[in-house]
Amino acid sequence: MFLVIIFSLSAFLAVAGALSVTFSKNLIHACVYLLFSLVGVAGLYLTLGAEFVAATQLVVYVGGVVVLLLFAIMLTGGTNLHHVTSRFGLESTPLMGNLRTYLMGVVTAVLLVVVLCNVLQGSMTGALVSENKFSSTVEQIGVKLLTDHILAFEISSVLLLGALVGAAIIARPHRSSESEN
Amino acid sequence: MEYSLLTILPIVLLPFFAFVLNAFIVKKFTKTAVALSCVAIFIPFLMALRIFADFVFNKYSADYYIHKTFTWFDLSAGTQIFKVQMGIYLDNMSAVMLLMVTGVAFLIHLFSTYYMHDDARYGRFFVYLSLFTSAMLGLVLSDNLFSVFIFWELMGFCSYSLIGFYYEKEGAGNASIKAFMTTRVGDVFFLLGIVALWSTVGSVSYVEIYKAIAESSLSSPVFLFGFGIPLATFAGFCIFMGTIGKSAQFPLQVWLPDAMFGPTPCSALIHAATMVAAGVYLSLRMYPLMDAGGLLEFIAYIGGITALGAATIALVQTDIKAVLAYSTISQLGYMVLGIGVGAYNASLMHLITHAVFKACLFLSAGSVIHALHDHHTHAPVQEMPRMGGLRKKLPYTFLAMLFCTLAISGVPLFSAFVSKDRILGDALLMATHSSTYIIPAILGLCGAFLTPFYMFRMMFLTFFGEPRDVELNKHAHHEHFSFNRNLPLLILSVFTLGFWYSGSLTGQGELKVFPESKYEWFQVLVEKPDLNKFLGRTSTPLAVPESKEFIEHSHYDPNHGITSEEEAHHVHLVHRVGAIASVVIALSAIFLAYCMYISKKFSPAWWTSNFARWTKALQNRYYFDHLYIDILIKRLLHPLNNLLAWIDMGLYDRYAVDGWERVLAFSYSVARWFDNIIIDSVLVDGSGISVRFFNIVLRTIQNGKIQFYFLVLLFVLASYVLAFKPVI
Amino acid sequence: MGIIPYIVVSCVLFVCGIIVMIARKNIIGILLGIELVLNAAALNFVTFTKFNNLNLDGHIFALFIILVAAAEAAVGLAIVIRFFQVRESVHIDSATQLQS
Repeated sequence: MFLVIIFSLSAFLAVAGALSVTFSKNLIHACVYLLFSLVGVAGLYLTLGAEFVAATQLVVYVGGVVVLLLFAIMLTGGTNLHHVTSRFGLESTPLMGNLRTYLMGVVTAVLLVVVLCNVLQGSMTGALVSENKFSSTVEQIGVKLLTDHILAFEISSVLLLGALVGAAIIARPHRSSESEN
Repeated sequence: MEYSLLTILPIVLLPFFAFVLNAFIVKKFTKTAVALSCVAIFIPFLMALRIFADFVFNKYSADYYIHKTFTWFDLSAGTQIFKVQMGIYLDNMSAVMLLMVTGVAFLIHLFSTYYMHDDARYGRFFVYLSLFTSAMLGLVLSDNLFSVFIFWELMGFCSYSLIGFYYEKEGAGNASIKAFMTTRVGDVFFLLGIVALWSTVGSVSYVEIYKAIAESSLSSPVFLFGFGIPLATFAGFCIFMGTIGKSAQFPLQVWLPDAMFGPTPCSALIHAATMVAAGVYLSLRMYPLMDAGGLLEFIAYIGGITALGAATIALVQTDIKAVLAYSTISQLGYMVLGIGVGAYNASLMHLITHAVFKACLFLSAGSVIHALHDHHTHAPVQEMPRMGGLRKKLPYTFLAMLFCTLAISGVPLFSAFVSKDRILGDALLMATHSSTYIIPAILGLCGAFLTPFYMFRMMFLTFFGEPRDVELNKHAHHEHFSFNRNLPLLILSVFTLGFWYSGSLTGQGELKVFPESKYEWFQVLVEKPDLNKFLGRTSTPLAVPESKEFIEHSHYDPNHGITSEEEAHHVHLVHRVGAIASVVIALSAIFLAYCMYISKKFSPAWWTSNFARWTKALQNRYYFDHLYIDILIKRLLHPLNNLLAWIDMGLYDRYAVDGWERVLAFSYSVARWFDNIIIDSVLVDGSGISVRFFNIVLRTIQNGKIQFYFLVLLFVLASYVLAFKPVI
Repeated sequence: MGIIPYIVVSCVLFVCGIIVMIARKNIIGILLGIELVLNAAALNFVTFTKFNNLNLDGHIFALFIILVAAAEAAVGLAIVIRFFQVRESVHIDSATQLQS
């Protein structure tokens, strides 16, 4: 029962957040809605018994990525709003696309649903393997990371390093590009 | 003697080589060329003499023949046999003809050295003469109709060249073409006959034809215009048409009088003695064919009509050569009449005797013409009204001409009496047997009356009386005896005497001059071919000398093979009657001529004025020229020619040939459309347009918009998934 | 609980993410969509770990997804900032240098 409540709450949060991201006109609002959606996904992780993943999600994604996005939005002036009325009475927000785009979006959505159903058809009969035998996964994940998936673990550290350095270099303000080393 | 290549072929080949050689050297070495020609005919004369002596003195029978062949070309393949064989056929008739041709030709060559020596184209005359003699000798020696035809045409060409020899003379060119074309008409039929025979018999050599006739394979009908005609009749008629053309019989006699445009020795050789005799020779060889075809009555009619018709036209001629020309036609008619009534031997004898005396007559006429030169026109004179009293000036010529005129008139003791009388006798004999032969016999007898008349008219007008053109007579040179002017004449005139040919006056064994039947040598020489004797024998190759195993000897039978006494008596009676009749006729005609032209008892003018229309008809040669030229050619052939030309140019050229222009224009327009539309617009411009189109299309795809690329990617992935998995 | 709700949720998240990627013209808006898509995928992984297979590989993969997403967000945003510095605009249609 408790699980169901948590699940519905989290699912509602995730879906509502996603839909709001899709349909909101303001970019900052969209960012915040994304945050809510991610929190909802974390809640779903919890219901699935993946508490470490949920925690990681909250820390990294919510606390890091979305904040980063917000900063980027601030830095690039994405909040400029000048309303332009488009042809079909749709209030066309700049940077939001026009009717054609949304139509394509709908078509794509339908198509994707069809595709996903096709793909996931066979797997929807998967049964619940174990029923709520709560066990801590942290230790298991840690063990696995350092034994089975050690390569990915190490490479991901390199990746993060690269991302760090790269991001720093790319985003550095260039006054005069000739005076670089 | 041995009959091999070396003894027979030079007869033909020597004059031919002389012709070839002379054609190159005649301009520069004229005298050498002339001498070469004369030698080239003298040697064959000697060889012919030898052959003749062999045949006659050894008394080979009339059936004996030497037949040597070689294959000219052989196109046989499998069961189809097509083999053309050429060869030599020698029998008594060939031997006699050879001797006559070579002898007469040699004497004429001699005479030509005198007659033509002033001429600018002296040498060229001998070139043509050599070619002609080789062709004639080839014809006499040949054993099949095909080579006969070849030599026939060759002689026709020589005749054409020689008639048109004086090409500056107006009318000579037309005359030569007329001669060629008229004989051509006959030759077309001749060729048709050859083809008909070849297609049935498989060969055209005499022996094969005789064999086929003996086996009656020639009685199968040929279907022509729905009528079935026996092949023998058809082929015989066609071959006889060749004779009609070449020997100037009715209705193709129109060319011979115009042939007198040629030089006189040419007239003597070609149009008197040899070429026109070739037609008769052909008919003699093909006699069994015509006999099997039942054409003999027709032949007799043609001969009789010709004999009388030409004689009547000769009555009014004033040109000395024209008189002789018509007399030639008339005598050829007699020969053909002889064939028609079955007087085979007599026809040949008349052919030989006619050759001799006609050649002599023509040469004498040439001598006369050469002696008379008009001082104003500087041309020789041929018109008899301007002659007269030349007896004193030209004694030798007069003597020769007298002999020959007596011969042609059928006076006893001369050669032609024997032959002509035999022909008339046989004509009368056939007339007593069947009524269809009555008319030819009558025609022959009337001709026999007219012939002496007009010949002696010619003699009297030319040599007797007072000269009508005094100046001409005064300037005529007196004749000296020269070997090339008078000797040929005299030699020929000697041979017009009768005893050379027959030991008896009448040639029938009556009134023997020489005892013993041995002097009827001519009569045993040649007989109508007995076809059954040809069935067994085959020819030998040309290179192999003849062996002499199967020679039969001839015997003279005065009854000519008739066994019953009564019939033989009847025959002899008719012949005797005929002989007497012809003598009476001849002498009375001579007497009439004498009365008209010497003693002037009757006047010719009375006849011409009372029979003015007849005279006019005779002078216009019975309007034959008018018939052929005005009616046949102008009214019939010219429109036909125009019609055919219209069909060719107006129809065929316009539609079939020019019509292609339309087709070509159409195809050109198609090609142009193709080029413009398809190539230029579709391919060339179209490639540009398609490139631009795809450019526009691809440009849209390649717009650099990330979201668009992403969308495309999604769609492609979706299609991959959906294509391989069924849609739920 | 059943697997289907989780799958439905992840599908909805995924589709929404795609739509955001297509429809928004702001580059950072598109990055939002990318984050959604990644999340949907991670959720799917964890779901299937729970329901089909308990060897926690899915959890690890979800961790890595989060990790990579973070790195990618960092680099991507750095590029966007650079792009903004050069172009003075973050409209997606001004990034059409690949246009032929």
